[in-house]
Amino acid sequence: MFPPKLLYICLVVCVLLAGCQAQVDAPKIYLSALKPLPERPESAVIPLRVSVAAVISPKGTAESYQPLLDYLSHSLARPVELVQRRTYAETNDLIEAGYVDLAFVCTSAYIIGHDAFDMQLLVAPQVNGQVVYYSYLIVPSESAAQGIEDLRGKTFAFTDPMSNTGRAYPAHLVQQLGSTPERFFARTFYTYSHDDAIRAVADGLADGAAVDSLVYEFALARDPRLAQRLKVIHRSPPFGIPPVVVSPHIRPQLRARLQEVLLGMSAHPQGQIALKSLGFDTFVAIDDSAYQSARELIRKDQGQKP
Amino acid sequence: MNWDIGPTLLQTVLQRWMARFWRIAGAVNIRIKIMGIVLGLVLLLGFAVTVQVSQLLAQNMYLQLQEQGISIARDLAARATDLILINDLYGLRQLIRDTQINHSGVRYAFVVGNDLYILAHTFEGGFPEGLLNANQVTGEAYAHTEILQTDEGQLWDIAVPIFEGRAGVARVGMSDVQAVQIVNIVTGQLLLTTVLVSAIGITAAMTLTWVLTRPIIGLVGAARKVEQGDFSPHVPVWANDEVGELALAFNAMTAALAKNQEERAEREQLRAQYVNRVIAAQEEERKRIARELHDSTSQTLTSLLIGFRTLSDTNDPAEMRQRADDLRSVAANILDEVHSLALQLRPSVLDDLGLPEAIKRHVAECQKHHAINIDLAFTGFDDHRLPAPLETALYRITQEALTNIIRHAEAETASIFIERTVDKVLAIIEDDGKGFDPEQVGQEGHLGLYGIRERAELLSGRLVIESQIGAGTSLYVEIPINGISKG
Repeated sequence: MFPPKLLYICLVVCVLLAGCQAQVDAPKIYLSALKPLPERPESAVIPLRVSVAAVISPKGTAESYQPLLDYLSHSLARPVELVQRRTYAETNDLIEAGYVDLAFVCTSAYIIGHDAFDMQLLVAPQVNGQVVYYSYLIVPSESAAQGIEDLRGKTFAFTDPMSNTGRAYPAHLVQQLGSTPERFFARTFYTYSHDDAIRAVADGLADGAAVDSLVYEFALARDPRLAQRLKVIHRSPPFGIPPVVVSPHIRPQLRARLQEVLLGMSAHPQGQIALKSLGFDTFVAIDDSAYQSARELIRKDQGQKP
Repeated sequence: MNWDIGPTLLQTVLQRWMARFWRIAGAVNIRIKIMGIVLGLVLLLGFAVTVQVSQLLAQNMYLQLQEQGISIARDLAARATDLILINDLYGLRQLIRDTQINHSGVRYAFVVGNDLYILAHTFEGGFPEGLLNANQVTGEAYAHTEILQTDEGQLWDIAVPIFEGRAGVARVGMSDVQAVQIVNIVTGQLLLTTVLVSAIGITAAMTLTWVLTRPIIGLVGAARKVEQGDFSPHVPVWANDEVGELALAFNAMTAALAKNQEERAEREQLRAQYVNRVIAAQEEERKRIARELHDSTSQTLTSLLIGFRTLSDTNDPAEMRQRADDLRSVAANILDEVHSLALQLRPSVLDDLGLPEAIKRHVAECQKHHAINIDLAFTGFDDHRLPAPLETALYRITQEALTNIIRHAEAETASIFIERTVDKVLAIIEDDGKGFDPEQVGQEGHLGLYGIRERAELLSGRLVIESQIGAGTSLYVEIPINGISKG
């Protein structure tokens, strides 16, 4: 038999060892020993870069365009990368530089891009059987405003400085009243996307805003509660729908292939799902003449801006 | 191992520990014991509370740290989404820097793109090796926490997917430095409190022990003096508690002991006197017998001898008969005298006829020689004799009492009443004499009463004296019958 003291010592040592073991598990990370980050390697496969103008917020764009990107990737057997930027101008710069191959741009961005660096029309989406859209003048549902003239001295939300429906058209309306937006409204601000402008009015942040009719209808379809908080007090004449464009640097074969894929989308089940996610019926071929009315409006606004 | 020896081994160990405990606990005085108890309790409580509170606090702080980290990382992920989607790397860098600056517990923050390359981080001039892959999270998860062991201690690394992982992952490292600091501060304060309370406890314990032990120490000193025969110490009663009661009882005890001692000394003195008197009385009795024999019996025997001589000289038968008759009467006288002498020495009547009869005869004898009227009454005496020592004692007590009355009381009447009950005998002897002060009994000159008391107490009985100067005396003697065997 062991002497009892020896037993105690054994017991204590065992307990201590068990305690130590629990402490030592994960390897140590040295926060003070910093090493340079690895360089991002050039990808062997160059993806098709698709840009979507910031008509709606980046997250909303990423969500709704994902099925389309997947469809393109599948059809072209090539990875597709979504490139987003805060403003229309940044997107246009990327298209001009040839960094972006395919782009979903705003009508005004197309007109400016086309006139500046030969941004090329590829196709246009058809929505509810039409290839036109409008600028809606929206106010909170409880507002007494009947038209743009009632918004004098109020807060107005613009979407993007380059936007047709969100900036050029309301500016045109103000000009018709013999004023400029900066004088007419007490305060103006840019939301850089149409859904944010809708939200700004719905939340009472702005007393009014002019938004893309497509985005407005789509937003109301997604969130019917918005209909109770907003009302449209004015609709513009029709404008050419925001088109799908390609960079002037794109190879003609790719351009043809892209046109083919987009025009044939509605014939494929996956393509239909992608179109539905965007609220489009299909894609159709379109001519630059469809954008003439918008072009005049924008030229006026661009020329007037300080 | 043989499990049967388990309990035995345990018992042995327990016994050894108990013995050791008693050796230590027994060796120290109460002062240290009480201080040990108080200090032990305070320290035990203090340390237990400290350990418990700091553990709970640490747990709570770590939980909070983790929750805070998750909320920071989720906020970062939500704000980073659009910045990543529009490739605003400068805005992203600013965002994570702001995240680190505005949240004190954040050690680092970084954002990993969906291609697993770091988009922005808060480290200056590089990135720690192994940190990128130390925590991973799936796109559907809310957040994933990993506790990292680093050179700066434990870090809670929280990973939150950005835009369901499509835009990458936000990572935040929460340092527990602040939590540890708070825990340390609280622990320190608790320990300080424990130390302070211990100090107060020691003071309280010292006061308490002083209060408790002061009377005990006094009692011990007094008890030592009593042991040495000094009954004078009077212990002060400090408080009205158990120790106070002990002090009171102790004082009562010393007082009783002192009184006892005094009484014993007096009685011892009386006993010596009594013995002296008994010896003197014996001598006196011998002298009396010698005188009696010489004066009376010898004289009559001499006259008998002379009578016999003259009888032998006588020839006349008639005269001879006459002289023989005279001689017979002389011899009869001698016989009477010898008989009387023997009777005085030891009343055989007590042995032969019993207590009542013996006392009756003695009373009759007294009345014959002295002018006193004595009433005598017995109750409860039947054919059953009392035990011999009791009869003797009662006889001698009555005799002594009567002798006292005749010699000192100058009484005209006396009465003797003796009652026998089942378990005791009560004798009441009264006179109408001059009386005395009972307080003086026991002093020299009352040896007769002392003798009575001695005899009564030898048989477990007692004597009560009622007397007043000029109002006679009553003696009550009570002796238990069953107490004889003890005597």
